[in-house]
Amino acid sequence: MRIGSYELKIEKRLALAGWEAAIISIFAIIFALALFSIIFILAEINPLLAYREIFSYAFANPYGLPLTINRFVFILLCTSAFIIPFRAGLWNIGMPGQLYAGALGAFAVLFAFGGKALPPPDLSPAILIPLMLIAAALGGAGLGAIAGFLKGKFNTNEIVVTMIMNFIAFWLVAHMIKEGGPFMNPGGRGESFELPPSVHAPLIMGVPFTVFFALGVAALLYFVFAKTKIGYQIRAHGHSPAAARYAGISPFRISLLVFAIGGAVAGLAGYHYFAAVPGVYKIARTYGYFGDLAFYGIICGLISLGNPLAAIPVALLFGGLSIGGRFVQGKLQIGFGVDYALLGVLMITLVAFQFFYHYKTAWVKTGEKKLDVGVYR
Amino acid sequence: MQKGLLEGIERGETVLEARGITKRFPGVVANDHIDFEIRAGEIHALLGENGAGKTTLMNILFGLWQPDEGEIYIGGKRVIFRSPLDAIELGIGMVHQRRKLVSAHTVIENIILGHPRAGRILNLKRAEEEIQELCERYGFNVALRAKVWQLSEGEKQVVEILKTLYRGAKVLIFDEPTSALTPPETKKLLASIGAMATDELAIIPFITHKLPIVLAISDRVTVLRHGKVTARLETGRVTEKSLAKKMVGREVIFRIERTKVEKGKPILQVENLSALSDKGFLALKGISFSIREGEIFGMAGVSGNGQHELAEVLAGLRRAEGGKVIFEGKDITASSILERWETGIGYIPCERTEVGSIGDFSLVENIAMNFYFDDSFSRRGILDYGKIRKRTEEIVSEYDVATPSLDTKAKNLSGGNLQRLILARVLSRKPRLLIANLPTQGLDVGAMEFVRNKLMEARKEKAAILLISEDLDEILSLSDWVAPFYEGKFMGIIPGEEAKRESVGAMMAGLCLEEQET
Repeated sequence: MRIGSYELKIEKRLALAGWEAAIISIFAIIFALALFSIIFILAEINPLLAYREIFSYAFANPYGLPLTINRFVFILLCTSAFIIPFRAGLWNIGMPGQLYAGALGAFAVLFAFGGKALPPPDLSPAILIPLMLIAAALGGAGLGAIAGFLKGKFNTNEIVVTMIMNFIAFWLVAHMIKEGGPFMNPGGRGESFELPPSVHAPLIMGVPFTVFFALGVAALLYFVFAKTKIGYQIRAHGHSPAAARYAGISPFRISLLVFAIGGAVAGLAGYHYFAAVPGVYKIARTYGYFGDLAFYGIICGLISLGNPLAAIPVALLFGGLSIGGRFVQGKLQIGFGVDYALLGVLMITLVAFQFFYHYKTAWVKTGEKKLDVGVYR
Repeated sequence: MQKGLLEGIERGETVLEARGITKRFPGVVANDHIDFEIRAGEIHALLGENGAGKTTLMNILFGLWQPDEGEIYIGGKRVIFRSPLDAIELGIGMVHQRRKLVSAHTVIENIILGHPRAGRILNLKRAEEEIQELCERYGFNVALRAKVWQLSEGEKQVVEILKTLYRGAKVLIFDEPTSALTPPETKKLLASIGAMATDELAIIPFITHKLPIVLAISDRVTVLRHGKVTARLETGRVTEKSLAKKMVGREVIFRIERTKVEKGKPILQVENLSALSDKGFLALKGISFSIREGEIFGMAGVSGNGQHELAEVLAGLRRAEGGKVIFEGKDITASSILERWETGIGYIPCERTEVGSIGDFSLVENIAMNFYFDDSFSRRGILDYGKIRKRTEEIVSEYDVATPSLDTKAKNLSGGNLQRLILARVLSRKPRLLIANLPTQGLDVGAMEFVRNKLMEARKEKAAILLISEDLDEILSLSDWVAPFYEGKFMGIIPGEEAKRESVGAMMAGLCLEEQET
């Protein structure tokens, strides 16, 4: 491309430092917000005002911030659940199913301990909460492991399997919580029985303890990939299954492992939303909505290029914008799904800006006029 | 578009000229003001190591890339190629090393594919007659109605040549013309190239190794090194040694010194082994052999005869259908890949970039491929990257791997350097059995010499070595046993001293000793 005597030169990057990626992402976010302001202008709303409302509600408001954090924890766990198989070169599209399985696991523990009884029994949180967490992890892991097993043994496409498992898990939850299901709410209403207050997840400064879980998982994953033997094996398989196999790494073991662990983390996301977020404490009627929300894990994982630590700010941004977007929609009376539209524009921009991860661009002054192509007589 | 720039050109006139061709890539100048010129009826070889800039120049002459500076002239007229199509229109033909043919189609269909006359209605009959005429003129022998997948590598190359000739090419660029051919096929090809040259075609073979070929056929040679022309010579006045020196920039030893090594106990015994290829055909048909300590067992054969499958079965990457593999007295037929690494089997695969290394991994992480499982390189599941880095440092300096840093990604190494890295990594495990699958394929003279010397060193240290190679000279100069391999079977296992070039070459092509004698 040429403008005047300047030409746009595009050069392949040989390496990309972390800070460079961060700066590119920040530019992408600014660009996306600028782009989206067209929509606000069309709706005759000052975009600066709209963004101020969105960000102040999401990150500085006593009501909005806890919502943001809860959503952030959920998205971050789903992102980690995506990243673990992703680093092994495998695609986990099954976070919704795995988190449903996790939620079912957690509520099965309650059910077994008589948590469904009315009035709510006084259960011991020191025993039940760890048990619920383990059950949630196992539930997600079990569902994930199916895809990993099939991939490793028969090379079945893991995207298809995890996707299909989402449907199975979705209807399994429906079966469990709707009319006649064992986890049915005594009052009907198409939702599960409520968590007895005695085993509500403890809050730390107004947010459930699971926030530390999510951050801990991200940090642990970073360490695992960077330092450990198993992390090395996963990464080797991710870059080249053939080379990894040559080096003695069993593809079956890797795919089973990453899907089981990824599923376990997604299962914790299920525990988080249905057993730890204040005001929910049950498998809600709208559980399908949270399943859809889990797909943000895919986009956050891709944007952070599979880096579990880089996923933290990305998940926070997505959590915040989805809360703030929904809020501003009511406050400024905009008649459409601002939150989804904004997130969509942001996703596309971030993905498009990954061009700059691979290429450097610069305007250079060209000397002579470029020759036209063709054959000279 | 102007056609026919080369019509009616006389023998000895310049057909193609490149002046001051310069092409830069990030960090390197691949071509630095290269001048090159070829006349009608001439064979003008371009010689250079990997990374000398041959491929770049070839792609520029064929219109795939645009030079940053410099001009190309055809028949004295300046031209600019926007794409290979322009080059083809003007009479430049390229015979690729990796064949670009449609394997389910017949030879004729492949030849006329993309031909301007084959626009909508195919006149196969007329095409067949014309192609047959070309075949007769240049001594090509190929069944025009056969499907391409039925052909050997040599025949496929003939199809590529016919394809470019049929499109009216006056300048033929050959990328490593003999690299995949058996000795008899090579001989035939050289004769045909000679016939084409007498017919006023200009021929440019690009060559990295196999210097004797250059000497045998070309009229002139241009040598490239580090992107620059280092010599322009009449072939009559050069020797193999002086050419190699110009190419590498120093003296190259061609004869490997073979020291006497005490032969010890058998390390590998293979009994009646059979295995399937990826396509499900029987690739190994019940073969038996053994290798002792300090021996190089040279398996000579053209790729695709089952050597690759054998290497993979021995390394544990492929299942044996029948038979036994015994390593140091233990039956390892069913052992896992990891167990084999741990007990002292080392495998150097021929797929350097797909299997032997991980392009997006740093050198350190690539070295870890053979050490991550070693208890001395990890503690409680945490890898000792410090120690692996140290090992990498040792390897890089001892094996002279040219790299900006240890954190460079493997995909940025040249082919020769990558092979040094893989070889070093496997050898530094001090394997008792080393399987080297095409270890010098595609390497330049300098790197080739290095790899061969390292194999000889490993032999001195009493490793048993299975050397798989297509290069007969390599097999003959290194091996204690020479075993020509054809269609899943050994055609013979001959002591190194007794192996003769001609008979082994014939056996590689499937002829039995008895058949030759009668």
